[in-house]
Amino acid sequence: MLRDREEEILEALWGEIVEKKNHMCDISVLKDDEAIKQLTDLDYVEVKNNQVRLTNKGREEAKNCVRRHRLAERLFVDVLDIKDKLVHEASCKFEHLLHKGLDENVCILLGHPKTCPHGRPIPEGECCKDAKRIPKKLIMRLSELELDRKATISYLETQDQSILQKIIAIGALPNTGIRLIQKFPSYVFQIGKSQFAIDKELASSIYVRV
Amino acid sequence: MAIDYKGPVEYSIEIAIERICALLNASYFISKRSVALLILQDDKETEEMVVANEGEAVDKIREVVKETKSHFANAITYELALERQAEVKSIVDKAVKIKKESIGTRERLSRLTMNPLTGIPILLFVLYWGLYKFVGQFGAGTVVNFIEGTLFEKYFNPFIANLIIKIVPWEVLQGLFVGEYGIITLGLRYAVALILPIVTFFFIVFSVIEDTGYLPRLAMLIDRTFKKIGLSGRAVIPMVLGFGCATMATMVTRTLPTKRERIIATMLLSLAVPCSAQMGVILALLGGNPKAMLIWAGIVGLIFLFVGYLTSKILPGERPSFYMEVPPLRMPSVSNVITKTFARVKWYFIEILPLFLLASIFIWLGMLLHIFDFIVGLLKTPVELIGLPPEASTAFLFGFFRRDYGAAGLYDLNKHGLLNGTQLVVSCVALTLFLPCIAQFLMNIKERGWKTGLGISVFILFFSFTAAYIVNFILTKFGVIL
Amino acid sequence: MSVKKIAIVGNPNVGKSVLFNILTKQYVNVSNYPGTTVEVSRGKMSINGIEYEVIDTPGMYSFLSITEEEKVARRILFNEKPDIVIHVVDAKNLERMLSLTLQLIEAELPVMLVLNIMDEAQKNGVIIDARILEKELKVPVVEAVSIIGKGIKELKDRIEAYGNRL
Repeated sequence: MLRDREEEILEALWGEIVEKKNHMCDISVLKDDEAIKQLTDLDYVEVKNNQVRLTNKGREEAKNCVRRHRLAERLFVDVLDIKDKLVHEASCKFEHLLHKGLDENVCILLGHPKTCPHGRPIPEGECCKDAKRIPKKLIMRLSELELDRKATISYLETQDQSILQKIIAIGALPNTGIRLIQKFPSYVFQIGKSQFAIDKELASSIYVRV
Repeated sequence: MAIDYKGPVEYSIEIAIERICALLNASYFISKRSVALLILQDDKETEEMVVANEGEAVDKIREVVKETKSHFANAITYELALERQAEVKSIVDKAVKIKKESIGTRERLSRLTMNPLTGIPILLFVLYWGLYKFVGQFGAGTVVNFIEGTLFEKYFNPFIANLIIKIVPWEVLQGLFVGEYGIITLGLRYAVALILPIVTFFFIVFSVIEDTGYLPRLAMLIDRTFKKIGLSGRAVIPMVLGFGCATMATMVTRTLPTKRERIIATMLLSLAVPCSAQMGVILALLGGNPKAMLIWAGIVGLIFLFVGYLTSKILPGERPSFYMEVPPLRMPSVSNVITKTFARVKWYFIEILPLFLLASIFIWLGMLLHIFDFIVGLLKTPVELIGLPPEASTAFLFGFFRRDYGAAGLYDLNKHGLLNGTQLVVSCVALTLFLPCIAQFLMNIKERGWKTGLGISVFILFFSFTAAYIVNFILTKFGVIL
Repeated sequence: MSVKKIAIVGNPNVGKSVLFNILTKQYVNVSNYPGTTVEVSRGKMSINGIEYEVIDTPGMYSFLSITEEEKVARRILFNEKPDIVIHVVDAKNLERMLSLTLQLIEAELPVMLVLNIMDEAQKNGVIIDARILEKELKVPVVEAVSIIGKGIKELKDRIEAYGNRL
């Protein structure tokens, strides 16, 4: 079984290599680190000229580590209401306890969350895939909402900062009630007592739940 | 009262604010906390302000911003908005009670205007009665006929002509005031008898439509179409206003969010949106000939879309996105409509009257020194090329001093029976597209800068003649008799 | 002492220009269309012999500006250093507009909140307790229907009182 130090390195590598899509990662500072040697021995990583790569096996293990860490954060923030600096510390300690089986329970308990409190994605586990198979569409884009049906905004998703600003400006923020009045030629919706017209691009960036 | 941006994470925005505030040494009128928040959200102006004031600390500040961002996958703006929203909710929960609502008549009417099935007929109805009947036929027809035909030609002009001839002994100077292009007989007459009533009627309609809250609904109806020409529904205001006064409308393009949209809108306003003065004259010219009017409207409409489409393809920049508040429909108040119309007409008049008078002086001088004869002579070839009588070149030259002024010149030509149906259409198309009037030319440069403003004008100069040439060619070739 | 400056700010289409017209007895264009104030208007007003310069600004949704007009509005707040900032909101949409109030307060600007178009809010079943709001925000809150001049007297009194604290 891996020790804390090794798991942390795997997590860092996941962030650098998988999430930031770098091919490999420079580890000259950690050259003689015991943990790197250990990971190499276990065939989790390959080191060549101070550049480290994740093997397929290592990638899988790193994914699980990240998943456990971010699930732990979710648990602390959403369920135990722990804030501030404690979250990181507590999660770091707790994640190592969440080995096979336990992480699934936590994931189910939290309702298969997609992101950690920082907004980073939580890698999917088997349980999430199962949950997905059951076709239950609770969350949808505003553009897909039925007319005159009351819904609540869940989250906003767009890569475009200016679109985000516009949506924020008109007050279409999570946990706000919303009702779609019209879909064509533009989307018209009501929030509180005011109505807004927006185009499809904006309407597709707002996710709502019924 | 201050929101504590704690957030759910260990590296909170609050820490970032503290660190940035500690690095800010200069004093700003707003709190350092606000400055820090704006910097965290990548606000350009604030960053410039900080760069100007803080010297070396800027790098450290950027460091903090970078680090903070690395802790959040969502944009900082989003995180802040969420926390603010939570704070707002807790305040509103304490201070506001909201009762259930029901869909009233007003809401039903509002939906009718927004549904394309009912909204487009409503739009056509508004255009027909508001623009065609009220501004075109009544304003530009009945009222203009009365003021120009009766008041000016029968009473005022003969009276003033006699007076001037009595007072001013030199014939040359008499011409300046009461000649064919005199300040009074031409400049003042056009401005007061022709343009003033048309513009007034247009602004009455515009003010009423504006106050009902119909325009945002129009914006939402037209957004899809406007997207194809690189604009968004938001551009509907300058465009509709352009039918009143394109100069004023060009100023209002400032409300468009991107530079690209502003350039496209300015271009289209200068090229293919006839202002109310022109519109009035064109309606008067083509009013008796519905077929010619339809062809003119079709051609100008097509050019509007075509040039818009091309410009949007050529100009770099991101696609516009559309968002607009749709205010409740309201009954316009008579007093507001009157004050508003008055204020706009006043603005317009103060701005244009001097130009009209100045134009008269220019024309008088030009005639006297035979400069205009020379330019008119130069224009003759292209004018004849598009199938118009050489006399029309005068109208085009004057058209530069004011677009409507040129249109009014055509109006005179037509009155003397010098133009046939095809020539009418061709000249109306050319004049609608032709160089912006001098006021708009100046506004283009003021709003868009020298390069763009001048570029737009040169393009229009060539485009209008080319388009007119093609229209003339097609109409003559296919033997369309109008 | 120099003339005190008052800046009128707020979301588009909440009646800033109407308020400006009433306070200064000047005319600027008013319409039922968001974003029609392009230019900045300035006027004078006096309350009990004290002169104020009133500045009407284009609409802004947030401190973080998107459009050119929003930038114009914000520059006024930054550069003109107004003695009083009147934030006008559409009362029936208080929830959506209060975020800007919070940002103004956060910037430590001398804010007064005007709940405008109260009549429409009441018709729409929105009941606001201005006193609670005042307590929560710790800034003066005035209710008004500026188009018919309702609440203007109170606003002027509050402006005077607020101005005197300086």
